[in-house]
Amino acid sequence: MDMADTHKEWLQQMELQSQAKQKSFIDGISAKLGRPRTEQPPVHPFRGAPDFWRTFEWTAEERIERFGANFRAAGGYVERLSDMDEVRRFISDKAVEWSAKYVVRQGQPELDELNLEDALENANVAVWNSSVDEEWKARAAEADFGVVLADYAVAYTGSITVLSSKNKGRSVSLLPTVLFAVIPAERMRTRLGEPLQQFDAIGREELPAGIHFISGPSRSADIENDLTIGVHGPGVVYALIVG
Amino acid sequence: MSSTAAGSKQSTVKQRAELALNDEFLRKAVKFTTERLRSGKKSASEEHGNWDDWRERGRQIRLHTIAHLDYYLNLFADNARANGVHIHFAQTDVEAVRIALEIAQRKQAKSVVKSKSMVTEELHLNRALDSIGVEAIETDLGEYIIQLAGETPSHIIIPAIHKNRYQIADLLSAEAGETLAPDTQILAGFVRKKLREKFLEADIGMTGCNFAIAETGSMVLFENEGNARMVTTVPKTQITLMGMERIIPSFEDLEVMATLLPRSATGQKLTVYMSAITGPRRSDDADGPDEMHIIIVDNGRSNQLGDPEFQELLNCIRCGACLNACPVYRHIGGHAYGGTYSGPIGAVLTPALNSNVAEWDDIANASSLCGACYEACPVKIPLHDMLVYLRRRKVESGNGSKLESAGMKGFSAVMGDARRMRSALKIGQFGQKLVVREGGIRLRLGPLKGWNTYRVAPSLPKHTFRDRWKEVDRDAQMKGKPLDPAVQARMEAIVKQRQQGGGHGHGGHA
Repeated sequence: MDMADTHKEWLQQMELQSQAKQKSFIDGISAKLGRPRTEQPPVHPFRGAPDFWRTFEWTAEERIERFGANFRAAGGYVERLSDMDEVRRFISDKAVEWSAKYVVRQGQPELDELNLEDALENANVAVWNSSVDEEWKARAAEADFGVVLADYAVAYTGSITVLSSKNKGRSVSLLPTVLFAVIPAERMRTRLGEPLQQFDAIGREELPAGIHFISGPSRSADIENDLTIGVHGPGVVYALIVG
Repeated sequence: MSSTAAGSKQSTVKQRAELALNDEFLRKAVKFTTERLRSGKKSASEEHGNWDDWRERGRQIRLHTIAHLDYYLNLFADNARANGVHIHFAQTDVEAVRIALEIAQRKQAKSVVKSKSMVTEELHLNRALDSIGVEAIETDLGEYIIQLAGETPSHIIIPAIHKNRYQIADLLSAEAGETLAPDTQILAGFVRKKLREKFLEADIGMTGCNFAIAETGSMVLFENEGNARMVTTVPKTQITLMGMERIIPSFEDLEVMATLLPRSATGQKLTVYMSAITGPRRSDDADGPDEMHIIIVDNGRSNQLGDPEFQELLNCIRCGACLNACPVYRHIGGHAYGGTYSGPIGAVLTPALNSNVAEWDDIANASSLCGACYEACPVKIPLHDMLVYLRRRKVESGNGSKLESAGMKGFSAVMGDARRMRSALKIGQFGQKLVVREGGIRLRLGPLKGWNTYRVAPSLPKHTFRDRWKEVDRDAQMKGKPLDPAVQARMEAIVKQRQQGGGHGHGGHA
């Protein structure tokens, strides 16, 4: 019997133990709480943000302005661009300026249309998970630039939200030195609760494996409280708001 | 399981605090950082507005979840399993360690990269991994530094708060095999490069868990560096250690926690990264772990359930705001607490988790009960009340100080009898002539030692209040106006209310 089979069997065995343990573990909690176990969902009168917060909303222009202020305050860069042609030009210029050699981007159709592969003459542009026999994590780890399209953005906290999928790697927004996040203006929300409520609505079965909120460059203050940028994640982050 | 706490706590808080107090740099650094974090929190919470409404909402969500923990934890386990996560339950630290080691052995792991997790500190998991020949690498910058130094974290948010850049440069230079300048960017640059290699070659990524969402089976991590994302994205196997009380019902509830936690911890509107991981990688994803384990740990937590005085401890979201607000922590630093968790929360949580509330000797006494921790707490845990409960339980169980009880008995015997009181004062007035200098007592002997090391005890006056009572009483009779009837009525009402057991609350904070 090979390794994989025995490991699978071991996992199944652990699974059975765990299910038996779950019953006694949870029953123990009910006993400590001094009542029988509840099977019905309890009424949760305080779910989510306070009521006054739920109706709070900025106008589209305000959202973009506040997002920019927050993102810059966290050490990020923000550009307002009119269309995807400008995005292409902006990233191409930066590639020349930084002498970028390796670029990895998500495989979203909007980014396909950017056609960075042709626009970046001196760089090798890889499209995430576009072939099966590639070491994609290694491609992202060596990349100078990573390019992603945001699923949401939140003005109040200055955050970009990215969701993982087959053509959207978690590594693309994490491993490269410089990150470009393209944000269609209509995806900009006011409150953090707006995308979060979406995830409740989407439901467990349809949620992606990775949901990440990114609010600036990677940072640390662990050495004498001195701010250090780019400790593990990208040290330079551009938020490119389009439209 | 209580052996860990007892074993690592050989000295008293006083001895450990003296170590801290003698270290000039530590004191400066702790003050500087905690001051900065505290003012950051203050401006962030003020800017956000309605802070007390948010705190109250956070408290209600935590109270609700803990009150129905059986339902929500069960729901979380079922949902996480449906997402493809291998769920394990560990009643004790020994059990949790055994499960983690078994997974590491099954995966034939050589190295484990870890992001910050207080639970793994609680379990001393690094030592256990080392004992079976698996290298455990802390990847949070501060944690990495103290791991190289062979120490433990002294602050829940800034673990290497007690080290300066020269000490850090020495540690990292030894690791690099070359001399690194004591420059933050250079030092951090070295760590980035070094740990990149570790992330890419590690077999297992290990994390803690800030929140677990019951309705979707997701686990949520807050961080600034990106190392927690690395650990959950790059290695093929992920193991998450989770305290059983980390649950919240929904993503919607996460908005409240995400509003309270970063603002309270560092004054940020949100940490640089907030990640929600729902199961291992999907079959056509090209990154994320193939295999994901979550070990749900009790290790003394359930002892708080059903205990009206301590159940609210489980509401804690581990922000560290009470440490930054605490005048005692700011003087003695984290190591003086002698447990995994320091500061006001540690003073209560450590004995509670070890279920030795009665024996835990001294840390609850090293508090002035000022209530700053309660004011700072984003979920309003009445820590200062809990410190009083701890002291009471210690005395009730017969573990109080023998000398203190004897002293209190003597005090009550003297104070309860006018003649004894008079004689005691006379003896004192006569006896003190031997030791009074410049109107005060400076003698550092016997019971006066602790007080007089930093202060001067006042001498007894020549004429006591009792001596002067007749005179005072006569003056009062002559000059005194009758009390305003309204004031008198109010005072009487207060006395009456007190007699009926009212006036209960958190010392005017409620």
